[in-house]
Amino acid sequence: MPAIARLACVLLVSAALLLSASSVEAAADTAPAGKVKRSEGSVTVDHAGQTQPLSVGSPLFVGDRIRTGSDGSVGVTLSDDTLLTAGPNSTLLINEFQFNTTTEEGSLLATLVKGTLSVVTGLIAKQAPENVRFKTPNVVLGVRGTEFIVETRGEGQ
Amino acid sequence: MSKACCLCALLCSLSLAACAPFSDRVVLLPGPDGRTGAVLVSADGEQKVLSEPYADVQVADGKVVLLKTSPGMVRDDYGALLAMQPARPRLFVVHFDAGTSVLTPASRTLLASMRAELATLPAGEAVVIGHTDRVGALEANDRLSLQRATLVRDMLLSAGIAPEAIAVVGRGERAPVVMTADEVAEARNRRVEIKLR
Repeated sequence: MPAIARLACVLLVSAALLLSASSVEAAADTAPAGKVKRSEGSVTVDHAGQTQPLSVGSPLFVGDRIRTGSDGSVGVTLSDDTLLTAGPNSTLLINEFQFNTTTEEGSLLATLVKGTLSVVTGLIAKQAPENVRFKTPNVVLGVRGTEFIVETRGEGQ
Repeated sequence: MSKACCLCALLCSLSLAACAPFSDRVVLLPGPDGRTGAVLVSADGEQKVLSEPYADVQVADGKVVLLKTSPGMVRDDYGALLAMQPARPRLFVVHFDAGTSVLTPASRTLLASMRAELATLPAGEAVVIGHTDRVGALEANDRLSLQRATLVRDMLLSAGIAPEAIAVVGRGERAPVVMTADEVAEARNRRVEIKLR
């Protein structure tokens, strides 16, 4: 193997090691954003590059993508008391979630990629409603502390 | 053409927007206390504000239309979804005998019931939240409120609640039940809340 190729190999491997080490670290010191309270049928989560089944009691983290099958639905309570319930054939991405339990300040951004979602906003919206946002591929929702349902058929529909 | 189809065609001609296949829909619901919040919907450079209960925004063909639905129609369209909603958090308050770390008799009774209450919730969590009055510095009260919450956490552990089901929070003097000026002693503000969810 030419020296330059060997060097490239070493660099690639060490970069991969560095990347995996930092993502493990990030996962370890990040508190869960919420917890699954209800689950029915097929419910999975894409977490840290892996797809896993999601069941009652499972924690959820920022970056998680929740998917329900045609028979699936799932109810989640975030740590600021926000209630998120997704119906069948839904994909929900937790883009952003921060919550300081002492001051009750934080922010929430979630994207309903497709399907149905019912929302009961929590403590973040009480303190700073402008920090709570929901999106679909076509719509942006600003929230003023409330309960609502969002349905989307997805991008460009 | 069946009767239902005729009816639908008729309704559609009366209200194009309601029948057109929407890409997105947002329905505002009243809260359990009857109060309704508001949602601002932005799509295709248009904005609509939903502020009335059962306000219904539908996006179709680049149009954002504000409609109104009803409790019955929400039940038909989203009843199964709403039935899967997690339990709303419930708040209980415990008080201490003045100047002590001993719970009042009423609070002891309440605490004893927490384990059974928590067991009714799937993946139940108890969040123990300590509060102080406004005597002392903010940081000192943060610590004190956390100490109070930790005390109640230990009581819940003794009552048989699993440690992983309990979280402890100190809110300090930020959330008084009785508004006072700074440095005013107020027993009702020195309390611990137990939130079950």
